[in-house]
Amino acid sequence: MTPKNNIIIGIIIALLVVASYNVDANPIEFIEGLPNLAIVVEEMLLVEPKYVPTAIWAMFETIQMAFIGTIIGFAIALPLSMLAARNLNSKYVYAPVRALLATIRTFPSILWAILFVIMVGLGPFAGVLAIIMYTIGFVSKLQYEAIETIDSDPMDAVSSIGVSKWQLIRYVVIPESASHLLSQLLYMFDYNIRQTSILGLVGAGGIGFYIINYIKFFEYGKAAVFMLIVLITVLIIDWVSVKIRDKYIIKSQHGMEVTTK
Amino acid sequence: MKKIQMIKNQPLSLISTTKIIQMSNVSTSYDSKNFALKGINLSIDRGTNYAIVGQSGSGKSTLLKLMNGMMISSNGTIKIDYVVPDMNDKKFKKMMHTIGYIPQSLGLIKNITVIENILIGALPRLSKIQSLFKRFPEHEIQEAKRILKLVALSGKENRKVYMLSGGEKRRVAIARALMQKPTILLADEIVSELDHVTAHEIMDLIADAQKQMNLTAIMVHHDMQLALEYANRVAVIKDGEKILEIGVEGEKIVDFQTGDMSAEEIMEMYSNDSKK
Ligand SMILES: Nc1ncnc2c1ncn2[C@@H]1O[C@H](COP(=O)(O)OP(=O)(O)OP(=O)(O)O)[C@@H](O)[C@H]1O
Ligand SMILES: [Mg+2]
Repeated sequence: MTPKNNIIIGIIIALLVVASYNVDANPIEFIEGLPNLAIVVEEMLLVEPKYVPTAIWAMFETIQMAFIGTIIGFAIALPLSMLAARNLNSKYVYAPVRALLATIRTFPSILWAILFVIMVGLGPFAGVLAIIMYTIGFVSKLQYEAIETIDSDPMDAVSSIGVSKWQLIRYVVIPESASHLLSQLLYMFDYNIRQTSILGLVGAGGIGFYIINYIKFFEYGKAAVFMLIVLITVLIIDWVSVKIRDKYIIKSQHGMEVTTK
Repeated sequence: MKKIQMIKNQPLSLISTTKIIQMSNVSTSYDSKNFALKGINLSIDRGTNYAIVGQSGSGKSTLLKLMNGMMISSNGTIKIDYVVPDMNDKKFKKMMHTIGYIPQSLGLIKNITVIENILIGALPRLSKIQSLFKRFPEHEIQEAKRILKLVALSGKENRKVYMLSGGEKRRVAIARALMQKPTILLADEIVSELDHVTAHEIMDLIADAQKQMNLTAIMVHHDMQLALEYANRVAVIKDGEKILEIGVEGEKIVDFQTGDMSAEEIMEMYSNDSKK
Protein backbone atom coordinates (compact mmCIF):
# COMPACT_ATOMS: atom_id res chain seq x y z
CA MET A 1 0.00 0.00 0.00
CA THR A 2 1.37 3.36 -1.02
CA PRO A 3 1.47 6.35 1.32
CA LYS A 4 -0.95 8.11 -1.03
CA ASN A 5 -3.54 5.38 -0.51
CA ASN A 6 -3.08 5.60 3.27
CA ILE A 7 -3.83 9.28 3.16
CA ILE A 8 -6.99 8.68 1.12
CA ILE A 9 -8.18 5.99 3.55
CA GLY A 10 -7.44 8.30 6.50
CA ILE A 11 -9.48 11.08 4.91
CA ILE A 12 -12.43 8.74 4.28
CA ILE A 13 -12.41 7.58 7.93
CA ALA A 14 -12.23 11.16 9.16
CA LEU A 15 -15.18 12.11 6.93
CA LEU A 16 -17.17 9.13 8.26
CA VAL A 17 -16.65 10.23 11.85
CA VAL A 18 -17.54 13.86 11.14
CA ALA A 19 -20.63 12.91 9.12
CA SER A 20 -21.83 10.46 11.78
CA TYR A 21 -21.48 13.14 14.41
CA ASN A 22 -23.45 15.57 12.25
CA VAL A 23 -26.37 13.20 11.72
CA ASP A 24 -26.39 12.01 15.34
CA ALA A 25 -25.53 8.46 14.35
CA ASN A 26 -24.79 6.85 17.67
CA PRO A 27 -24.05 3.10 17.86
CA ILE A 28 -24.90 3.04 21.56
CA GLU A 29 -28.45 4.21 20.86
CA PHE A 30 -28.76 1.47 18.28
CA ILE A 31 -27.85 -1.18 20.82
CA GLU A 32 -30.10 0.34 23.48
CA GLY A 33 -32.94 0.30 20.95
CA LEU A 34 -32.72 -3.42 20.22
CA PRO A 35 -35.19 -4.44 23.00
CA ASN A 36 -37.81 -2.21 21.30
CA LEU A 37 -37.36 -4.21 18.14
CA ALA A 38 -37.91 -7.38 20.12
CA ILE A 39 -41.31 -6.05 21.23
CA VAL A 40 -42.26 -5.32 17.60
CA VAL A 41 -41.15 -8.77 16.48
CA GLU A 42 -43.05 -10.41 19.31
CA GLU A 43 -46.25 -8.60 18.40
CA MET A 44 -45.74 -9.35 14.74
CA LEU A 45 -45.68 -13.02 15.54
CA LEU A 46 -49.30 -12.65 16.60
CA VAL A 47 -50.25 -12.80 12.94
CA GLU A 48 -53.94 -12.37 12.27
CA PRO A 49 -54.77 -14.77 9.44
CA LYS A 50 -58.24 -13.39 8.84
CA TYR A 51 -56.61 -10.38 7.18
CA VAL A 52 -54.99 -12.52 4.50
CA PRO A 53 -57.76 -12.04 1.88
CA THR A 54 -57.69 -8.25 2.34
CA ALA A 55 -53.91 -8.32 2.09
CA ILE A 56 -54.01 -10.37 -1.09
CA TRP A 57 -56.54 -8.04 -2.63
CA ALA A 58 -54.41 -5.00 -1.69
CA MET A 59 -51.37 -6.69 -3.16
CA PHE A 60 -53.29 -7.37 -6.35
CA GLU A 61 -54.14 -3.70 -6.60
CA THR A 62 -50.46 -2.90 -6.07
CA ILE A 63 -49.39 -5.27 -8.84
CA GLN A 64 -51.90 -3.75 -11.23
CA MET A 65 -50.66 -0.26 -10.42
CA ALA A 66 -47.07 -1.33 -10.99
CA PHE A 67 -48.02 -3.10 -14.21
CA ILE A 68 -49.80 -0.09 -15.73
CA GLY A 69 -47.09 2.26 -14.53
CA THR A 70 -44.28 0.13 -15.92
CA ILE A 71 -45.83 -0.49 -19.35
CA ILE A 72 -46.96 3.09 -19.94
CA GLY A 73 -43.76 4.55 -18.52
CA PHE A 74 -41.65 2.23 -20.63
CA ALA A 75 -43.62 3.04 -23.78
CA ILE A 76 -43.24 6.79 -23.23
CA ALA A 77 -39.54 6.41 -22.38
CA LEU A 78 -38.65 4.48 -25.54
CA PRO A 79 -39.15 7.26 -28.12
CA LEU A 80 -37.50 9.73 -25.75
CA SER A 81 -34.52 7.39 -25.46
CA MET A 82 -34.23 7.24 -29.24
CA LEU A 83 -33.94 11.02 -29.17
CA ALA A 84 -31.46 10.93 -26.28
CA ALA A 85 -29.08 8.39 -27.84
CA ARG A 86 -25.88 10.06 -29.00
CA ASN A 87 -25.33 7.61 -31.84
CA LEU A 88 -28.65 8.51 -33.46
CA ASN A 89 -28.97 12.25 -33.01
CA SER A 90 -27.13 15.50 -33.22
CA LYS A 91 -26.16 17.33 -30.06
CA TYR A 92 -29.01 19.78 -30.51
CA VAL A 93 -31.50 16.96 -30.14
CA TYR A 94 -29.99 14.70 -27.50
CA ALA A 95 -28.72 17.41 -25.14
CA PRO A 96 -32.14 18.96 -24.32
CA VAL A 97 -33.85 15.56 -24.18
CA ARG A 98 -31.22 14.28 -21.77
CA ALA A 99 -31.60 17.37 -19.62
CA LEU A 100 -35.35 16.81 -19.47
CA LEU A 101 -34.92 13.14 -18.53
CA ALA A 102 -32.31 14.00 -15.90
CA THR A 103 -34.76 16.45 -14.33
CA ILE A 104 -37.49 13.81 -14.23
CA ARG A 105 -35.01 11.40 -12.67
CA THR A 106 -34.14 13.69 -9.77
CA PHE A 107 -37.52 13.08 -8.07
CA PRO A 108 -37.92 9.88 -6.08
CA SER A 109 -41.22 8.10 -6.67
CA ILE A 110 -42.57 9.14 -3.30
CA LEU A 111 -42.23 12.82 -4.25
CA TRP A 112 -44.04 12.23 -7.52
CA ALA A 113 -46.74 10.47 -5.51
CA ILE A 114 -47.17 13.46 -3.19
CA LEU A 115 -47.36 15.74 -6.21
CA PHE A 116 -50.03 13.62 -7.91
CA VAL A 117 -52.04 13.16 -4.69
CA ILE A 118 -52.26 16.94 -4.62
CA MET A 119 -53.21 16.99 -8.31
CA VAL A 120 -55.70 14.12 -8.65
CA GLY A 121 -56.51 13.32 -5.01
CA LEU A 122 -55.87 10.28 -2.82
CA GLY A 123 -55.95 6.81 -4.34
CA PRO A 124 -54.27 4.41 -6.73
CA PHE A 125 -54.45 6.72 -9.77
CA ALA A 126 -52.00 9.13 -8.15
CA GLY A 127 -49.76 6.13 -7.48
CA VAL A 128 -49.93 4.98 -11.10
CA LEU A 129 -48.99 8.45 -12.33
CA ALA A 130 -46.06 8.53 -9.92
CA ILE A 131 -44.81 5.15 -11.15
CA ILE A 132 -45.12 6.29 -14.77
CA MET A 133 -43.01 9.38 -14.13
CA TYR A 134 -40.45 7.48 -12.12
CA THR A 135 -40.22 4.77 -14.78
CA ILE A 136 -39.71 7.32 -17.55
CA GLY A 137 -36.83 8.93 -15.70
CA PHE A 138 -35.20 5.73 -14.64
CA VAL A 139 -35.66 3.36 -17.56
CA SER A 140 -34.89 5.93 -20.26
CA LYS A 141 -31.33 6.15 -19.00
CA LEU A 142 -30.98 2.38 -19.20
CA GLN A 143 -32.57 2.41 -22.64
CA TYR A 144 -30.42 5.06 -24.23
CA GLU A 145 -27.31 3.55 -22.75
CA ALA A 146 -28.29 0.20 -24.25
CA ILE A 147 -28.92 1.88 -27.60
CA GLU A 148 -25.55 3.58 -27.48
CA THR A 149 -23.73 0.30 -26.88
CA ILE A 150 -25.18 -1.50 -29.89
CA ASP A 151 -22.69 -2.59 -32.48
CA SER A 152 -21.91 0.23 -34.90
CA ASP A 153 -21.17 -2.14 -37.81
CA PRO A 154 -24.75 -3.10 -38.67
CA MET A 155 -25.74 0.54 -38.13
CA ASP A 156 -23.11 1.72 -40.61
CA ALA A 157 -23.85 -1.05 -43.07
CA VAL A 158 -27.58 -0.33 -43.10
CA SER A 159 -27.27 3.45 -43.12
CA SER A 160 -24.93 3.15 -46.10
CA ILE A 161 -27.99 1.87 -48.01
CA GLY A 162 -29.42 5.35 -47.51
CA VAL A 163 -32.43 4.26 -45.42
CA SER A 164 -34.37 6.78 -43.35
CA LYS A 165 -33.76 7.33 -39.66
CA TRP A 166 -37.04 5.60 -38.80
CA GLN A 167 -36.17 2.58 -40.85
CA LEU A 168 -32.81 2.43 -39.12
CA ILE A 169 -34.53 2.45 -35.72
CA ARG A 170 -37.17 -0.07 -36.75
CA TYR A 171 -34.85 -2.52 -38.50
CA VAL A 172 -31.53 -2.19 -36.68
CA VAL A 173 -31.76 -0.36 -33.36
CA ILE A 174 -34.81 -2.18 -31.99
CA PRO A 175 -33.75 -5.72 -32.97
CA GLU A 176 -30.17 -5.14 -31.84
CA SER A 177 -31.23 -3.86 -28.43
CA ALA A 178 -34.36 -6.00 -27.99
CA SER A 179 -32.92 -8.39 -25.43
CA HIS A 180 -31.63 -5.52 -23.32
CA LEU A 181 -34.96 -3.74 -23.54
CA LEU A 182 -36.88 -6.83 -22.47
CA SER A 183 -34.54 -7.37 -19.59
CA GLN A 184 -34.98 -3.75 -18.50
CA LEU A 185 -38.75 -4.08 -18.69
CA LEU A 186 -38.69 -7.07 -16.35
CA TYR A 187 -36.29 -5.37 -13.99
CA MET A 188 -38.42 -2.25 -13.91
CA PHE A 189 -41.63 -4.18 -13.19
CA ASP A 190 -39.94 -6.04 -10.38
CA TYR A 191 -38.60 -2.79 -8.96
CA ASN A 192 -41.90 -0.96 -9.37
CA ILE A 193 -43.78 -3.58 -7.35
CA ARG A 194 -41.52 -2.86 -4.40
CA GLN A 195 -41.90 0.87 -4.94
CA THR A 196 -45.67 0.77 -5.32
CA SER A 197 -45.82 -1.12 -2.04
CA ILE A 198 -44.70 1.97 -0.19
CA LEU A 199 -46.61 4.66 -2.12
CA GLY A 200 -49.55 4.06 0.23
CA LEU A 201 -47.53 5.94 2.83
CA VAL A 202 -48.59 9.17 1.18
CA GLY A 203 -52.06 7.96 0.27
CA ALA A 204 -51.34 7.00 -3.30
CA GLY A 205 -53.01 3.57 -3.11
CA GLY A 206 -51.61 0.07 -2.89
CA ILE A 207 -50.77 -2.20 0.00
CA GLY A 208 -48.55 0.32 1.76
CA PHE A 209 -51.61 2.25 2.84
CA TYR A 210 -52.65 -0.63 5.11
CA ILE A 211 -49.16 -1.25 6.42
CA ILE A 212 -48.56 2.36 7.42
CA ASN A 213 -51.94 2.66 9.10
CA TYR A 214 -51.60 -0.50 11.16
CA ILE A 215 -48.12 0.53 12.22
CA LYS A 216 -49.40 3.96 13.23
CA PHE A 217 -51.89 2.28 15.55
CA PHE A 218 -49.34 -0.22 16.86
CA GLU A 219 -51.20 -3.16 15.31
CA TYR A 220 -48.04 -4.96 14.31
CA GLY A 221 -49.77 -8.33 13.97
CA LYS A 222 -52.01 -7.01 11.22
CA ALA A 223 -49.19 -5.10 9.55
CA ALA A 224 -47.17 -8.32 9.56
CA VAL A 225 -49.77 -10.10 7.41
CA PHE A 226 -49.52 -7.41 4.77
CA MET A 227 -45.73 -7.32 4.89
CA LEU A 228 -45.59 -11.07 4.55
CA ILE A 229 -47.75 -10.92 1.42
CA VAL A 230 -45.42 -8.29 -0.07
CA LEU A 231 -42.45 -10.50 0.69
CA ILE A 232 -44.02 -13.57 -0.91
CA THR A 233 -45.09 -11.60 -3.99
CA VAL A 234 -41.66 -10.10 -4.48
CA LEU A 235 -40.07 -13.53 -4.23
CA ILE A 236 -42.50 -14.97 -6.78
CA ILE A 237 -41.97 -12.10 -9.24
CA ASP A 238 -38.24 -12.46 -8.81
CA TRP A 239 -38.41 -16.15 -9.57
CA VAL A 240 -40.65 -15.63 -12.60
CA SER A 241 -38.41 -12.95 -14.05
CA VAL A 242 -35.37 -15.17 -13.67
CA LYS A 243 -37.24 -17.85 -15.64
CA ILE A 244 -38.25 -15.41 -18.38
CA ARG A 245 -34.72 -14.04 -18.55
CA ASP A 246 -33.25 -17.53 -18.92
CA LYS A 247 -35.72 -18.52 -21.56
CA TYR A 248 -35.77 -15.46 -23.79
CA ILE A 249 -32.89 -13.18 -23.03
CA ILE A 250 -29.95 -15.43 -22.34
CA LYS A 251 -31.02 -17.62 -25.24
CA SER A 252 -31.27 -14.78 -27.69
CA GLN A 253 -27.81 -13.60 -26.73
CA HIS A 254 -26.28 -17.01 -26.92
CA GLY A 255 -23.78 -17.23 -29.72
CA MET A 256 -23.84 -13.55 -30.44
CA GLU A 257 -20.45 -12.11 -31.08
CA VAL A 258 -21.15 -8.94 -29.20
CA THR A 259 -22.59 -9.25 -25.74
CA THR A 260 -22.69 -6.20 -23.59
CA LYS A 261 -23.05 -6.26 -19.85
CA MET B 1 3.49 -17.42 -55.89
CA LYS B 2 2.27 -19.53 -58.79
CA LYS B 3 1.85 -18.12 -62.21
CA ILE B 4 -1.64 -17.02 -63.11
CA GLN B 5 -3.60 -19.52 -65.12
CA MET B 6 -7.34 -19.20 -64.91
CA ILE B 7 -8.56 -15.85 -66.08
CA LYS B 8 -12.21 -15.40 -65.33
CA ASN B 9 -12.48 -11.73 -66.04
CA GLN B 10 -13.95 -10.34 -69.20
CA PRO B 11 -11.68 -8.70 -71.72
CA LEU B 12 -11.59 -4.99 -71.05
CA SER B 13 -12.36 -4.04 -74.64
CA LEU B 14 -15.85 -5.55 -74.46
CA ILE B 15 -16.95 -3.42 -71.52
CA SER B 16 -18.43 0.02 -71.97
CA THR B 17 -15.92 2.54 -70.85
CA THR B 18 -17.91 5.09 -68.88
CA LYS B 19 -16.14 5.92 -65.68
CA ILE B 20 -18.27 4.98 -62.71
CA ILE B 21 -15.74 6.02 -60.09
CA GLN B 22 -13.16 8.74 -60.43
CA MET B 23 -10.79 9.95 -57.77
CA SER B 24 -8.19 12.56 -58.30
CA ASN B 25 -5.57 13.46 -55.77
CA VAL B 26 -7.76 12.27 -52.88
CA SER B 27 -6.47 12.41 -49.32
CA THR B 28 -8.26 11.78 -46.08
CA SER B 29 -7.53 11.27 -42.41
CA TYR B 30 -9.22 10.12 -39.22
CA ASP B 31 -7.27 12.52 -37.05
CA SER B 32 -5.53 15.78 -37.88
CA LYS B 33 -2.01 14.30 -37.71
CA ASN B 34 -1.87 11.24 -39.94
CA PHE B 35 -3.24 10.72 -43.42
CA ALA B 36 -5.05 7.41 -43.89
CA LEU B 37 -4.91 7.98 -47.66
CA LYS B 38 -2.74 10.39 -49.65
CA GLY B 39 -2.96 11.55 -53.24
CA ILE B 40 -5.05 8.70 -54.57
CA ASN B 41 -5.80 8.77 -58.29
CA LEU B 42 -7.96 6.13 -59.82
CA SER B 43 -10.72 5.64 -62.30
CA ILE B 44 -12.90 2.58 -62.56
CA ASP B 45 -14.84 1.57 -65.65
CA ARG B 46 -18.47 0.59 -65.38
CA GLY B 47 -19.03 -3.14 -65.22
CA THR B 48 -15.49 -4.08 -64.29
CA ASN B 49 -14.18 -5.98 -61.35
CA TYR B 50 -11.67 -3.81 -59.54
CA ALA B 51 -9.56 -5.17 -56.72
CA ILE B 52 -7.70 -3.36 -53.98
CA VAL B 53 -4.82 -5.17 -52.34
CA GLY B 54 -2.46 -4.09 -49.60
CA GLN B 55 -1.10 -4.73 -46.17
CA SER B 56 -3.11 -4.38 -42.99
CA GLY B 57 -3.55 -0.72 -42.12
CA SER B 58 -2.64 0.49 -45.60
CA GLY B 59 -6.00 2.21 -46.10
CA LYS B 60 -8.07 -0.26 -48.14
CA SER B 61 -11.20 -0.07 -46.01
CA THR B 62 -10.90 3.68 -45.88
CA LEU B 63 -10.83 3.80 -49.67
CA LEU B 64 -14.10 1.85 -49.86
CA LYS B 65 -15.75 4.11 -47.30
CA LEU B 66 -14.94 7.09 -49.49
CA MET B 67 -16.78 5.43 -52.36
CA ASN B 68 -20.10 5.10 -50.56
CA GLY B 69 -20.10 8.47 -48.83
CA MET B 70 -19.59 7.04 -45.35
CA MET B 71 -16.37 9.06 -45.17
CA ILE B 72 -15.53 12.45 -46.58
CA SER B 73 -12.24 13.23 -48.28
CA SER B 74 -10.26 16.13 -46.94
CA ASN B 75 -8.58 16.84 -50.28
CA GLY B 76 -9.12 16.10 -53.93
CA THR B 77 -12.27 15.23 -55.83
CA ILE B 78 -14.34 12.07 -55.91
CA LYS B 79 -17.11 11.37 -58.42
CA ILE B 80 -19.35 8.37 -58.14
CA ASP B 81 -21.25 8.06 -61.41
CA TYR B 82 -20.39 11.74 -61.89
CA VAL B 83 -21.90 12.72 -58.53
CA VAL B 84 -19.90 13.94 -55.53
CA PRO B 85 -20.53 11.55 -52.63
CA ASP B 86 -22.20 13.41 -49.78
CA MET B 87 -24.77 11.82 -47.48
CA ASN B 88 -26.59 15.12 -47.06
CA ASP B 89 -27.07 15.55 -50.78
CA LYS B 90 -30.46 14.26 -51.97
CA LYS B 91 -29.14 13.05 -55.28
CA PHE B 92 -26.32 11.05 -53.72
CA LYS B 93 -28.54 9.69 -50.97
CA LYS B 94 -30.71 8.22 -53.71
CA MET B 95 -27.63 6.70 -55.33
CA MET B 96 -26.73 5.06 -52.04
CA HIS B 97 -29.81 2.87 -52.46
CA THR B 98 -28.02 1.08 -55.28
CA ILE B 99 -24.51 0.99 -53.83
CA GLY B 100 -24.12 -2.33 -52.09
CA TYR B 101 -21.58 -2.16 -49.30
CA ILE B 102 -20.30 -5.19 -47.41
CA PRO B 103 -18.06 -4.02 -44.57
CA GLN B 104 -15.17 -6.09 -43.29
CA SER B 105 -17.29 -7.08 -40.29
CA LEU B 106 -20.29 -7.78 -42.61
CA GLY B 107 -22.66 -5.60 -40.58
CA LEU B 108 -25.42 -8.20 -40.29
CA ILE B 109 -28.06 -8.04 -37.59
CA LYS B 110 -27.34 -11.18 -35.66
CA ASN B 111 -30.53 -11.94 -33.80
CA ILE B 112 -32.93 -11.71 -36.72
CA THR B 113 -33.37 -14.24 -39.50
CA VAL B 114 -31.51 -14.60 -42.77
CA ILE B 115 -34.44 -13.46 -44.89
CA GLU B 116 -35.12 -10.46 -42.64
CA ASN B 117 -31.50 -9.41 -43.09
CA ILE B 118 -31.73 -9.78 -46.85
CA LEU B 119 -34.98 -7.82 -47.08
CA ILE B 120 -33.23 -4.83 -45.49
CA GLY B 121 -31.71 -4.28 -48.93
CA ALA B 122 -35.22 -3.52 -50.22
CA LEU B 123 -36.03 -0.89 -47.57
CA PRO B 124 -35.48 2.11 -49.87
CA ARG B 125 -38.24 0.76 -52.14
CA LEU B 126 -40.82 0.54 -49.33
CA SER B 127 -43.41 3.15 -48.43
CA LYS B 128 -43.47 4.62 -44.92
CA ILE B 129 -46.47 2.51 -43.91
CA GLN B 130 -44.99 -0.68 -45.35
CA SER B 131 -41.73 -0.20 -43.53
CA LEU B 132 -43.43 0.72 -40.26
CA PHE B 133 -45.40 -2.52 -40.23
CA LYS B 134 -42.69 -4.66 -41.84
CA ARG B 135 -45.02 -5.35 -44.76
CA PHE B 136 -42.76 -6.35 -47.62
CA PRO B 137 -44.66 -6.68 -50.91
CA GLU B 138 -44.93 -10.19 -52.30
CA HIS B 139 -42.63 -9.47 -55.26
CA GLU B 140 -39.88 -8.32 -52.89
CA ILE B 141 -40.18 -11.53 -50.89
CA GLN B 142 -40.00 -13.52 -54.11
CA GLU B 143 -36.93 -11.54 -55.15
CA ALA B 144 -35.32 -12.23 -51.76
CA LYS B 145 -35.99 -15.94 -52.25
CA ARG B 146 -34.49 -15.84 -55.73
CA ILE B 147 -31.32 -14.22 -54.37
CA LEU B 148 -31.27 -16.68 -51.51
CA LYS B 149 -31.11 -19.44 -54.08
CA LEU B 150 -28.41 -17.61 -56.01
CA VAL B 151 -26.20 -17.50 -52.92
CA ALA B 152 -27.03 -21.14 -52.14
CA LEU B 153 -28.83 -20.46 -48.89
CA SER B 154 -32.28 -21.84 -49.77
CA GLY B 155 -33.83 -23.59 -46.81
CA LYS B 156 -31.92 -21.47 -44.32
CA GLU B 157 -34.08 -18.36 -44.67
CA ASN B 158 -35.57 -18.66 -41.19
CA ARG B 159 -32.32 -19.29 -39.36
CA LYS B 160 -31.06 -16.63 -37.02
CA VAL B 161 -27.84 -15.17 -38.38
CA TYR B 162 -25.81 -15.97 -35.26
CA MET B 163 -26.37 -19.64 -36.00
CA LEU B 164 -24.63 -19.49 -39.38
CA SER B 165 -21.08 -20.36 -40.31
CA GLY B 166 -18.64 -17.70 -41.43
CA GLY B 167 -19.08 -18.55 -45.11
CA GLU B 168 -22.88 -18.53 -44.78
CA LYS B 169 -22.80 -15.15 -43.07
CA ARG B 170 -20.83 -13.78 -46.01
CA ARG B 171 -23.46 -15.10 -48.39
CA VAL B 172 -26.17 -13.34 -46.39
CA ALA B 173 -24.24 -10.07 -46.59
CA ILE B 174 -23.82 -10.51 -50.36
CA ALA B 175 -27.53 -11.31 -50.69
CA ARG B 176 -28.49 -8.16 -48.77
CA ALA B 177 -26.32 -6.11 -51.12
CA LEU B 178 -27.79 -7.81 -54.22
CA MET B 179 -31.27 -7.13 -52.84
CA GLN B 180 -30.49 -3.44 -53.31
CA LYS B 181 -30.42 -4.05 -57.09
CA PRO B 182 -26.97 -2.51 -57.00
CA THR B 183 -25.01 -0.82 -59.74
CA ILE B 184 -21.89 -0.81 -57.58
CA LEU B 185 -20.82 -3.48 -55.12
CA LEU B 186 -18.18 -2.61 -52.53
CA ALA B 187 -16.90 -5.63 -50.65
CA ASP B 188 -14.27 -5.45 -47.93
CA GLU B 189 -12.22 -8.65 -47.57
CA ILE B 190 -15.25 -10.89 -47.67
CA VAL B 191 -13.28 -13.98 -48.68
CA SER B 192 -10.06 -13.37 -46.77
CA GLU B 193 -10.80 -15.65 -43.85
CA LEU B 194 -12.29 -18.47 -45.89
CA ASP B 195 -10.70 -21.64 -47.18
CA HIS B 196 -9.63 -21.80 -50.81
CA VAL B 197 -12.70 -23.66 -52.09
CA THR B 198 -15.28 -21.53 -50.31
CA ALA B 199 -13.47 -18.36 -51.30
CA HIS B 200 -13.69 -19.39 -54.95
CA GLU B 201 -17.35 -20.35 -54.63
CA ILE B 202 -18.15 -16.92 -53.29
CA MET B 203 -16.03 -15.14 -55.88
CA ASP B 204 -17.71 -17.13 -58.68
CA LEU B 205 -21.07 -16.20 -57.28
CA ILE B 206 -20.19 -12.52 -57.40
CA ALA B 207 -18.81 -12.93 -60.92
CA ASP B 208 -22.16 -14.50 -61.95
CA ALA B 209 -24.17 -11.74 -60.35
CA GLN B 210 -21.96 -9.24 -62.09
CA LYS B 211 -22.68 -10.69 -65.50
CA GLN B 212 -26.41 -10.76 -64.81
CA MET B 213 -26.70 -7.24 -63.45
CA ASN B 214 -24.00 -5.21 -65.20
CA LEU B 215 -22.52 -4.58 -61.81
CA THR B 216 -19.28 -2.80 -61.03
CA ALA B 217 -17.57 -4.73 -58.25
CA ILE B 218 -14.85 -3.14 -56.14
CA MET B 219 -13.38 -5.64 -53.79
CA VAL B 220 -10.66 -5.51 -51.19
CA HIS B 221 -8.51 -8.63 -51.07
CA HIS B 222 -5.66 -9.95 -49.05
CA ASP B 223 -4.58 -12.49 -51.62
CA MET B 224 -2.94 -11.11 -54.79
CA GLN B 225 -3.37 -14.39 -56.62
CA LEU B 226 -7.13 -14.38 -56.02
CA ALA B 227 -7.36 -10.71 -56.95
CA LEU B 228 -5.61 -11.27 -60.27
CA GLU B 229 -7.75 -14.28 -61.00
CA TYR B 230 -11.01 -12.34 -60.85
CA ALA B 231 -10.26 -8.67 -61.30
CA ASN B 232 -9.72 -6.65 -64.43
CA ARG B 233 -7.54 -4.29 -62.47
CA VAL B 234 -5.74 -4.56 -59.18
CA ALA B 235 -4.65 -1.51 -57.24
CA VAL B 236 -1.95 -2.00 -54.64
CA ILE B 237 -2.10 0.34 -51.65
CA LYS B 238 0.80 0.93 -49.33
CA ASP B 239 0.84 3.34 -46.39
CA GLY B 240 -2.12 5.21 -47.80
CA GLU B 241 -0.72 5.57 -51.29
CA LYS B 242 -1.51 3.73 -54.48
CA ILE B 243 1.82 2.28 -55.53
CA LEU B 244 0.70 0.11 -58.41
CA GLU B 245 -2.20 -0.62 -60.68
CA ILE B 246 -1.97 -3.82 -62.61
CA GLY B 247 -4.17 -6.02 -64.72
CA VAL B 248 -4.00 -9.22 -66.68
CA GLU B 249 -4.18 -9.09 -70.45
CA GLY B 250 -3.85 -12.47 -72.03
CA GLU B 251 -1.04 -14.18 -70.18
CA LYS B 252 0.69 -10.97 -69.36
CA ILE B 253 0.49 -8.78 -66.31
CA VAL B 254 0.36 -5.17 -67.33
CA ASP B 255 1.24 -2.27 -65.13
CA PHE B 256 -1.25 0.49 -65.83
CA GLN B 257 0.40 3.02 -63.63
CA THR B 258 3.97 3.16 -64.94
CA GLY B 259 3.95 1.21 -68.18
CA ASP B 260 4.68 -2.40 -69.10
CA MET B 261 6.37 -4.64 -66.61
CA SER B 262 6.92 -8.35 -66.58
CA ALA B 263 4.80 -10.54 -64.36
CA GLU B 264 7.91 -11.63 -62.53
CA GLU B 265 8.92 -8.09 -61.79
CA ILE B 266 5.49 -7.20 -60.49
CA MET B 267 5.21 -10.29 -58.36
CA GLU B 268 8.63 -9.65 -56.98
CA MET B 269 7.77 -6.07 -56.25
CA TYR B 270 4.56 -7.08 -54.61
CA SER B 271 6.17 -9.69 -52.44
CA ASN B 272 8.85 -7.27 -51.35
CA ASP B 273 6.36 -4.56 -50.56
CA SER B 274 3.37 -6.20 -49.09
CA LYS B 275 4.00 -9.78 -48.27
CA LYS B 276 3.18 -10.42 -44.65
N1 LIG C 1 -12.05 4.73 -37.06
C1 LIG C 1 -10.75 5.03 -37.14
N2 LIG C 1 -10.21 5.99 -36.35
C2 LIG C 1 -8.92 6.33 -36.44
N3 LIG C 1 -8.04 5.76 -37.28
C3 LIG C 1 -8.50 4.79 -38.09
C4 LIG C 1 -9.87 4.38 -38.06
N4 LIG C 1 -10.04 3.42 -38.98
C5 LIG C 1 -8.84 3.23 -39.54
N5 LIG C 1 -7.90 4.05 -39.03
C6 LIG C 1 -6.49 4.13 -39.42
O1 LIG C 1 -6.41 4.43 -40.80
C7 LIG C 1 -5.44 3.63 -41.44
C8 LIG C 1 -6.06 2.84 -42.57
O2 LIG C 1 -7.02 1.95 -42.03
P1 LIG C 1 -7.90 0.96 -42.89
O3 LIG C 1 -8.94 0.39 -42.01
O4 LIG C 1 -8.35 1.67 -44.11
O5 LIG C 1 -6.81 -0.15 -43.28
P2 LIG C 1 -7.00 -1.49 -44.08
O6 LIG C 1 -6.06 -1.42 -45.22
O7 LIG C 1 -8.42 -1.73 -44.38
O8 LIG C 1 -6.46 -2.56 -43.05
P3 LIG C 1 -6.95 -4.09 -42.78
O9 LIG C 1 -6.38 -4.93 -43.86
O10 LIG C 1 -6.34 -4.41 -41.45
O11 LIG C 1 -8.43 -4.06 -42.76
C9 LIG C 1 -4.82 2.76 -40.35
O12 LIG C 1 -3.61 3.34 -39.98
C10 LIG C 1 -5.80 2.81 -39.22
O13 LIG C 1 -5.13 2.74 -37.99
MG1 LIG D 1 -9.76 -3.09 -43.77
